[in-house]
Amino acid sequence: MTRKAAPPKADARDRLRRVLFLVPYAVRHPGVPVRDLARRCGVPEKQILEDLDFLLGVGCPPFAPDDFLDLYVEGDRVHVALHQSFSRPPRFTESEAAALAAAARALGGEGRERVVRALRDAVPRDRRAIFEELLAGIFAGSPPARDSLLGRIEQAIASRRALRIRYFTATRGEESERVVHPYTLAQRLGHWYLWGHDEGRGKALPFRLDRIRECAVDEKRFEPPTDAELARGRLFSEASGPPVRLRLGPLAAAWALARPGQWRVVKRDRKGGAVVEVPGVSDEWATRFALSFGGDAEVLAPPSARRHFGDAVRRALARYPG
Amino acid sequence: MQKAERLLDLAALLLRASEPVSWREIQEQFPDDYGGSGEAAIRKFERDEAELLELGIPVRWVGGDEDLSAGYLVDKEDFYLPDLKLPPEDLALLYLAGSAALAQRVFPYARDLAHAMNKLSFAARAPGASEVAAVAALQLSADDAEGDARAETSARLEALSTAVAGKKRVHLVYAGAERRARTERDVEPYGLYQRGGAWFMAGFCRLRQDIRSFHLARIVSLEVNAAAPRTPDFEVKKGFSLAELATRESWEFGVHAPVRCRLRLEGPASPEERDSFGPRAVWKETDGRAVVEVVARNQEALLRHVLSYGDRAEILAPRPLREKARKVLAALARRVS
Repeated sequence: MTRKAAPPKADARDRLRRVLFLVPYAVRHPGVPVRDLARRCGVPEKQILEDLDFLLGVGCPPFAPDDFLDLYVEGDRVHVALHQSFSRPPRFTESEAAALAAAARALGGEGRERVVRALRDAVPRDRRAIFEELLAGIFAGSPPARDSLLGRIEQAIASRRALRIRYFTATRGEESERVVHPYTLAQRLGHWYLWGHDEGRGKALPFRLDRIRECAVDEKRFEPPTDAELARGRLFSEASGPPVRLRLGPLAAAWALARPGQWRVVKRDRKGGAVVEVPGVSDEWATRFALSFGGDAEVLAPPSARRHFGDAVRRALARYPG
Repeated sequence: MQKAERLLDLAALLLRASEPVSWREIQEQFPDDYGGSGEAAIRKFERDEAELLELGIPVRWVGGDEDLSAGYLVDKEDFYLPDLKLPPEDLALLYLAGSAALAQRVFPYARDLAHAMNKLSFAARAPGASEVAAVAALQLSADDAEGDARAETSARLEALSTAVAGKKRVHLVYAGAERRARTERDVEPYGLYQRGGAWFMAGFCRLRQDIRSFHLARIVSLEVNAAAPRTPDFEVKKGFSLAELATRESWEFGVHAPVRCRLRLEGPASPEERDSFGPRAVWKETDGRAVVEVVARNQEALLRHVLSYGDRAEILAPRPLREKARKVLAALARRVS
């Protein structure tokens, strides 16, 4: 047996799991394009066609002509003539349900424990104890806001209703009222965002969930984002201006480089320290970040960031007269 | 017959049967696979049965009685994914949480999560807006910037998920941050947690004889004990709580005996800033400044946190920590002048 990235056993299992979804999906959506199935399964179209080929050989004893699965592709669209009882996918396996439940607990909302129970009940009866055990071994994060607040946001997304939010803008240090069409929630670099169309600003913007103070679901309904709007959607604006350059001592480098972030390591020294560049961050951010390493990091460039850092250090030192 | 095909054929047979299918009948239908009277055929069938179960297809053996013959069956009620019967907002929670986690690509049981998300479209009559929102969540949360590092962490997370599930001991080469030295150790992995976008493994470290957390990105190499994969190597210690460990502040991880520390914060503290000191901090606010009290078991970590507030924060007590803050700032001031 040759050793490759994906061992053959995983391939066979993956294929089985895929086709157990694929067949019922094509039953429910007659004429689904091969492309859609490939996208949903995260595999190339060629793989789906091979799967369909494989399925033609699957049947049920005594293997009379009508005992086989019967699928065909017509003009790139998949049709199922005989599904041989594979009309719905199997229940969640314990690890499928546990991963989903752990993700749901980390987001939160009033329905948090309700969905965990529903997932548990959707696992075959004698695997539920294992589900509980697996779930106890994963903690994917603390919810970014109160359950009641998140519950209202989730409700607004599901019913496509506008949200009135009171939002704290960190750069200005002030709160403002906004009316937002909540398109979705997304997560980046450890933070959760509500991404939606801001009526006042006339464009889609991200709002950090932990900065939404209050929210209420409005009566007004909205249209979902167009594909074009979605394709343009970003949680972060493209980095502008010169990157900030920092020197990290060995300790700081070990911590910082293990964190998610958009670093470019300019140079590493033999003791483990590093000079790194971070694009698109403010002078304030750079100062705060460097100081969070307790003396093992400093801001080098650009000059404005270096000055900001130096001023902050001198002012902080003034608090500790010697 | 190929195994994948055989498993599906077997599932189809048992799903379509209106009553239990006897072992003899199964043998007749699959003569090349389970034929013969030997122990080997039974073993092979049992292995297939276990694999079907892992795919979510529960095969059951029922003893016969007057009305029913003995044999194997797949209980349809226990096979087909039921409608979860959740209100739309709960469904949105599932779709959004699942999609965002999937987009990170680094998540325990990430492959299973992808299958679960597919199945979710069958778990409700009309997912509607939630499914559309999930596509947007997937796109916005995706981060391609760190492909290689993520692939490596993802592979470690997968190996560790299996070790946690099977309670198997792992052998680590770990590059510690504080000491910077590489250490080798055996760890009993209790669970996996995420904090600030990074994943950690919590477990009983046999080297330190205590419960420790390990940053996945600092694991240099990892080996899961391969002996007796179905037999657990350990039991999780009573009273262990993964959530408690995962939500500890950096200064609450025990390095020394607990010390009560006091600090001052200028200007009104935003809720985010309040959160940064954790739920156990005691706040006293007067005239736009706050005095915060925390119990630290790692004063260095607290110092780093306080310094990140620049001139808005100041350590008041204990005195040695205050002195340390002054020294660190004085050294930095000399460097930037």
